[in-house]
Amino acid sequence: MSINIVTCVIILVLGLLAIGFYALLISRNLIKVVVALQILIKGAMVALVLAGNISGKVNEGQSLALTVIVADTIVAVIGLSLAVQVRRNFGTLDLKALTTLRR
Amino acid sequence: MEYVLVVIGCLICSVFAIRARRLLISALWLAGASALVALLLYMLGAPEIAVIELSVGAGLVTVLFVFAINIAGEETFTGPNPISKPLAWILVGIAIVLLGVLVLGPQVSASLSGPLPGFAEVIWKDRVLDVFLQVVLIFAGVLGVLGLLSEAKNPSKEGRDEH
Amino acid sequence: MVGSLILLAIGLPWLGALVVLLFGDKAERWQHGLAIFFAVLSGLAGLGLLTQASSSLAFSIPVGGVFGDFTFVADGLGVFLAAIATVIGSLAVIFSADYMKGEGQLGRYYAFVLFFIGAMAGLVLTSNLLLMFIFWEITALCSYALISFHNDDPKAVAGGIKALIITQLGGIGLLAGALLLYSFQKSYDISTFLANPGVLPGNILGVMAFGCLVAAAAKSAQFPFQTWLPDAMEAPTPISALIHAATMVNAGVYLLARFYPAFKDVPGWTTAVVLDGMITALLAAFMALVATDLKRVLAYSTVSQLGYMVYAVGAGGIYASQFHLFSHSVFKALLFLGAGAVIHAVGTRDMRLMGGLGKQMPLVRTVFVIGALALAGIPILNGFWSKELILESGLAFGEANGMVWAYAFMVLGAGLTALYTIRCVWMVFYGEARSHLNGHDAGPAMRVALLPLAFGTLTTWLLAGPFSQLLATVSSYQKLGLETNSTRTILEEVVTAPATLVVLVVILLGILAWIYRSRLAGLVNVLRPFISAASNGFGFETINRAIVWTTETTAENLRATQTGLLSWNVAGIVLCLAIVLAVVVMGGR
Repeated sequence: MSINIVTCVIILVLGLLAIGFYALLISRNLIKVVVALQILIKGAMVALVLAGNISGKVNEGQSLALTVIVADTIVAVIGLSLAVQVRRNFGTLDLKALTTLRR
Repeated sequence: MEYVLVVIGCLICSVFAIRARRLLISALWLAGASALVALLLYMLGAPEIAVIELSVGAGLVTVLFVFAINIAGEETFTGPNPISKPLAWILVGIAIVLLGVLVLGPQVSASLSGPLPGFAEVIWKDRVLDVFLQVVLIFAGVLGVLGLLSEAKNPSKEGRDEH
Repeated sequence: MVGSLILLAIGLPWLGALVVLLFGDKAERWQHGLAIFFAVLSGLAGLGLLTQASSSLAFSIPVGGVFGDFTFVADGLGVFLAAIATVIGSLAVIFSADYMKGEGQLGRYYAFVLFFIGAMAGLVLTSNLLLMFIFWEITALCSYALISFHNDDPKAVAGGIKALIITQLGGIGLLAGALLLYSFQKSYDISTFLANPGVLPGNILGVMAFGCLVAAAAKSAQFPFQTWLPDAMEAPTPISALIHAATMVNAGVYLLARFYPAFKDVPGWTTAVVLDGMITALLAAFMALVATDLKRVLAYSTVSQLGYMVYAVGAGGIYASQFHLFSHSVFKALLFLGAGAVIHAVGTRDMRLMGGLGKQMPLVRTVFVIGALALAGIPILNGFWSKELILESGLAFGEANGMVWAYAFMVLGAGLTALYTIRCVWMVFYGEARSHLNGHDAGPAMRVALLPLAFGTLTTWLLAGPFSQLLATVSSYQKLGLETNSTRTILEEVVTAPATLVVLVVILLGILAWIYRSRLAGLVNVLRPFISAASNGFGFETINRAIVWTTETTAENLRATQTGLLSWNVAGIVLCLAIVLAVVVMGGR
């Protein structure tokens, strides 16, 4: 069986994106949201490296992916510290219950 | 063949990551997904990124998660979600199918090249601005965390006194 | 050289805005001083630009792809408006040093004023239609912020919101025009469009022409958008002088004049412009006649004079309309600043409470009278020459197109102008004091601002010749056959035209009507219902209030979609992603 590798990886990217978006839509726990973001960003990163590989410019792809990793780590760090603070100040991590800034 | 295995494994790990009931289990499945993604990146010919992803994604982020989950604690919710599950399925399904149609249509031939020399050169010469941005990001992250966590010393009582 | 002057004219006020804001509200004298410093420097840059006018590209900032290049061209039309904006801007800032002494939150005030001056200079100097729209919006924002400066006064806030909503509705017309231009010409450049207006097919060109007319009418408070300007008089008076008399409202006239060569062949456009100007001029003159608030009289008079300028553009008298714009900016700023001195001294804006103030404020009275004579169109002052030029070109247009009645109405308008002007001057400065008000003459900073403007009113008509040379540098006007004449030729032409005599007679009649007003009391009684309709703004007030109310309720109701829930927002993102992808997939096949 000659399975096209690129198609495989593209299916992975699509799958990760789908799972990430779905999780963002139905999560109610703030920390789950951070997990969903991580999955989403992994999908994007694989796509970047794949694009770099296909077009022959592997190293550009890698540099962009490096930037993405750094950004995504910082997002995780700050998201988690926010979650900790929210838990301390409001007593809950439920997104639906965090209504202080809403009308 | 290895590709198919890694892809399927990765997808399974992420599905379990969001379906897990306990947050700690969820973080562990996420670590597994990160490791498999790192493996895939290595097979795609990007070894430097693979190593970085393994240590940061599967290592650092997982430790952070465990840390935060320990402090914040577990929680279960009752009541309906703002967006119902069927609706979420439909929305995501349509978007991803369309994206797939767009991307999988023109079949690109797979020219998987091996690792080229000069990654360091590319990073430090062509994309040196990116490196500066990353440094700025890291600083911002550090400052943010310091700002957020220092409030723990002045408990929220003070904030409420200002009204 | 030109490029750096343009950058200075736009960038210095913006830098000053930032500096004054950062300086904080505790150091009031520093704020006054810094604001004056930056404003005067930009005024000098504006004056320097006058010497460098040419229609070649000054400089451009490549912004890539969708927006084209941000190009700046310093041609005659642009530099004279930039000079007006920066010079009168600096005079208004100098005046504010006395007027706003002791008021709080000066950082906000000066920051917005300086921001506005830079944006106005940028609006007239750019030749990228999208960038012009961006500057247009910035001036609207600053106007709103400054009208509502006293944000604890509900009338001021309401006036500001009304001005914002009405001018923004007009701005949609300009954006539509810009997008239409881009879709056919693939660039936003105005000069290429003016060189070849045929790039847009006929009916699209018509849509763009009328869109720009709507935008210009809303910005310059022309019919049917004229009610926002009188309500904007809640702003501090230096703001009324700068924004609502000398610069922002001129942006509409500038837009019409800039695009006239492209739109003049659109069927019905010139007639629409002429009619709009004429209706506005008359309507506003009547409303000025019955108003009792000093600033409202001046506001209606501004609307009326802008009607004259719009009328002139429609009639093809570009030189006349821009010359009147120049004279009007100077004498109207003078009148507003003089009124500001009066209001600051006596603490009220109601003319019925004033009277006999001339004895207590001799300097202000003198400069105000000079400005009033120019407004009425009395010979020797700059208003006379420019108004005569407008009426001449209007007569030529009327004779060519069978609309001489429009010309007759405009002459009637000139008489009304003289009437309400002398009424205003009389009620404030002469006669017996109607109530006991203590006035003091203008402070030193106010004098520094008022005297140059008075000098300008007396003398700017001498610049008629160089002004025509300045306009001739605009490349799109060269095709129209705009001649350059020396000052002497222009002045002789005005003096020897028979129409001038007619207008002078009508003006004299207007003045006499006031002096013998007791004899005309019978006529006034007959017109009483008309007078009350005029003081209610002829019913347009209701329409505009309805527009504002609709906008505000719709905005409130749409707030329900902003739930603040993450799931909702992400659902919105995914939905839009699906829609965009659907469009791309279907369009690409």
